[in-house]
Formats: sequence, structure tokens, C-alpha cells
Amino acid sequence: MKYLATTFLLASLVMGNYANATAKAAFDIFQNDKSKEKNKKIAHELIDGGFYFSAIPYINTYLDESNQIDAQLENDIETLVIKTGTMAVLNLEEKKLEKYSIPSISLILGTRLFNKEQYEKAYEILSRIPETHKFSIEANLMKGTIRNLQRKHIEALNLYSLCTQKAAAQENAANGEKLKRYYTYLRENCIIRTARVKIEDKKFDEALELYEQIDKRSYKWPYILMDKAWANYYLKDYNRAIGLTVTYKSPLLESYFFPEAEVLTALSYYNLCLWDDSLKVVDHFYEYYQPKADALKDILAKNKKSDTYFLDLYYADSKTRENLNPFIRNLITQTRKQVKFSLDLASLKAAKDELALIKKLKNKNDFTNGLEANLDSTIAFISAKINYYIKKEIFSFINEIHKHSYSMFNLKLELLSKKRDEIYNTKLDTKVDRDRGSENNVNRKVTQYFFDFNGSFWADELGDYSFGLKSQCTGANKEQN
Amino acid sequence: MKTFLITTLIFMSFGISAQDNAPEKKNTVYKYKEYEVIDLGSMEIKGQIIAPGDLTVNERERKVFKRSLLEKENFDFENKREIENLR
Repeated sequence: MKYLATTFLLASLVMGNYANATAKAAFDIFQNDKSKEKNKKIAHELIDGGFYFSAIPYINTYLDESNQIDAQLENDIETLVIKTGTMAVLNLEEKKLEKYSIPSISLILGTRLFNKEQYEKAYEILSRIPETHKFSIEANLMKGTIRNLQRKHIEALNLYSLCTQKAAAQENAANGEKLKRYYTYLRENCIIRTARVKIEDKKFDEALELYEQIDKRSYKWPYILMDKAWANYYLKDYNRAIGLTVTYKSPLLESYFFPEAEVLTALSYYNLCLWDDSLKVVDHFYEYYQPKADALKDILAKNKKSDTYFLDLYYADSKTRENLNPFIRNLITQTRKQVKFSLDLASLKAAKDELALIKKLKNKNDFTNGLEANLDSTIAFISAKINYYIKKEIFSFINEIHKHSYSMFNLKLELLSKKRDEIYNTKLDTKVDRDRGSENNVNRKVTQYFFDFNGSFWADELGDYSFGLKSQCTGANKEQN
Repeated sequence: MKTFLITTLIFMSFGISAQDNAPEKKNTVYKYKEYEVIDLGSMEIKGQIIAPGDLTVNERERKVFKRSLLEKENFDFENKREIENLR
């Protein structure tokens, strides 16, 4: 233990000295170099010393003034993209970025254009990334999505397949745990996309087989339950669709809430001609989500001008969090699981660490003061960005509730109409048998497990539930089933 | 004097026309039937029966309003959101 502590101390001293040395080298260039490449050289020294966020303004200024990117600068930009994400070339306009065809800039520009829904241009820019480059996996995922959105499914499937293969290869070759996880995430994303295209093409069985490749411990797994439920719904296995959506009610998945899951449950009951069950789900939807939507709207309205409120909620101590509406607490938990949020949060921490390191430097001068000022504004920017991200998540969640309220309203009208017909035609129909579930009504493939549900959820059973309800469709309602 | 005469004549003519329009006073006496017997048994209706013997209403086919229930035609929303959440 003693040796370990000494080694750690020595390592941090060496690191600190190295950072000092590179900061000094950067300062020398800042003072003495009068060439056009001054900013590029300063950025290189800073990147070398681990001052990634401090290097951003210098790289941006250099690229703004010059059109030349040599091998060293290309490496530096790539490092910046890996370490700081989209922040690397944040201040540069798209027209300027278009002139450069290096993979790191193409990836950032492609992502930016994709988010602006300029799909064809984004596809063209992303195609500049060579297939052998490590960024090509992300590029293929995005290109596949573009073709998917344009309903060019054959092309989309090819791109997703390339993405899956390359991600799997990189996953096996990766040394670090973080890097491995990143490639696993990309591989699973590409598999899920392939399965979704299959659903869109009505090849539901093929889609369900693909979903089996996603590990239950995966970060993506809770999200695929919805996809699988839809595939089963279209296969008319309504019992399994309900079984999948009901999985979200398990305590392990309590922070995941999908209003769409409620709609799908109600629709499945509807298709089994279980009008009362379906009506119960519809009524529960309004009772459950209406106050939640109101609470969220209230919190958004009160803090819409704040740049830090939602970020502070994330950092709040457990006592403050306990006082929050449990729903808002869960929504923040769900947001925390998003990759972008984690990356931005890591960036914020890294930028703060960097600022602390610069503040510790002994010789203060114009250069270090400039670095501090830049870092301060970078930290403020990242904080506002994360705050905006949480706000946007809450906003889109409210929108989703409203969207599905409309679906539920239509379903309720349809249900009331069915119930009215049932009353009118009581003489025609045989007596409705309301016997509940039976194993005989469960459709099961050889690869699917079967568990009895005894009132408690078990982690290994999650995702394999199926209801065993008998369809009550008779006579005029036969078309439902 | 001339004016006085004209005014007197005008007033006199109004007086005559007012007397013409006054309703005649008549002594009207209303009398009500004290007792009447209707013998329903001896009543008779002459003519042909043209109404159908069986009263039925033709069954109409009920208008079916098909409301659009939620369909999942694509995953565009999820796919776009996942890319947005990547970086």
C-alpha cells in the first residue's frame, strides 16, 4: 500500500511537471513566434500536455485563418475530437468545415448536418471518411440511418451490416474497458437498427431473432422491449406484447417510462376484444400521466430562463432530490443514462480539472490569464449545454405524452363504440366468458423461456413474460383477432 | 275670428269620427252544455283499412366510423433521437 501511494505521488508529480513543461513551451511560442503557424504550434503543445479544452480556441483560430492541415494537425484535431467531442471545432462555420476532408472534421460536420436534417449533404460529407478509419463505424451508422429515413432499405441494411461487423472487430481488438464499451454500444445500435428495418419491411420474425443478440445486461436492452412488443403485436401475439410492455413495471426498470408502452398495452387488449381491460389502461394513462405532464410543465415554466437549474438538479444532494417529484427524479435518472449526457458531463469535469491545473501554475502571465478566461467561458458553455439538454428531454417527454393522449382518446372512442355494439348484440353473441389466463394461450418458440408470474419480478425473467389471455373476439368482432 | 272658426271645425270633425269608431255595446250571454252522452259502441267508421297490420322498422346498417389507432410504421423518431444522443 505504501509503495502504491508513493508510485501514485511520483506519477502525479511527473505528470504535473510535464504539464508545466508543455505550458511553458506553449507560452514561449505565444511570446516569440511570429509565424502564421503560431496558433497551431500553441495548440499542439497544449494538447501534448493534456490541456485539450485550452487548445480548442487556438485550433479554431488557426483553421479559420488557414486552409492547410498537415499530418500533425490532423492528429491533434483527431485527439481533440476524441477528448472533447463536438466542441473541437465548435466555433467554425459549416462552409469553412466543408473545405476540410479529414475524418475527424467530416464526422463532426456530418453529425451537425444530420441534426439539422440536411441528410443528403450529411451523407456526402460522411462518405469522405475512409472505410478503414475508426470513425467509419459511427459514419456507417449515421449513413445507414439516412438511407433508412429515405426508405432505401437495401442500402440501409448494407450500411448497418458493415457497421456491425467493424464494431465487433474493434470490440475484440480494444484494450481499454471504456473503448470496448463504446464499440459494444455501436455494434448493438447497428443490430437494433437492422431489426427495425426488418420490422418496417414486415419481417417480424427475423427482427425478433436479431433482438436476441442484445445482452440483457446491455444499456440498450430496456429500449428494445418496446421494439419487440411492436413486432409481437404485428405478429398478432398480443399476449406477448402485453408481457413485454408490463416488464417496465418491474422495480428494476422503474426509471424507464414509455407512454407508448401504455398505448400498445391498451391496443393489445383491444385486439383481444377485452374492452374493459383496455378501457382500464386508457383511464390509467390519463390518471397517471396528466399530473406528471402538469408537474413537468410547471417546472419548465418556472425555470425556463435559468442556465443552470436542471444541471443543479443533477448535482443536488440526495435530500434535495428526495423532495423532488419522484417522476422528475426518474426522468433525470433516465437522462443520465444517455451517452451524450455522460459525454458532456465528462467534458465538464475535464474542463474544470484543466482550469484547476492552470490555476496551480506558478508563473502567471497574459497567456495563462487568457487560458483561464477561455476555460471559464468553455465551462459556462458546457454547463448551459447540459442544462439545455435536460430541458429538451423534459420538453420532448411532455410532447410524447400529448401525442399519445390523442391515440388513447381515439382508442377510447373505439372501445366505447365496441361496448355499445356488444350491448346491442347481446342476443346474437354467446355469453362472454371472462375466464382469465391459461398456459394454453401462450405462444412460445423453442428459444423462449417460460416463467410463471407469481406477483414478483425476477431480473432473469425480465423480457420473457407473456400473458395467457384468451381472445374474447366473437361474431362481428372477429376481425380484431 | 277666421282662425277660431277653423279650429272649432277641426275639433268638431274629430269628435264625430271618434263617435263612429266606438264599439257597440251588446249584452252577450254564454251558455254551456250541461250534459251529453256519447255512445262509443254505436260509433262506426266508414272506409278501407290501408295501414299495414305489422308495425316494423327496417334495420339500417350502422355507420362504422373507423378512427385511426396508433400504428408503428417506422422508427424514424427513435432513430433520429439516438443519433442526436450519440454526440
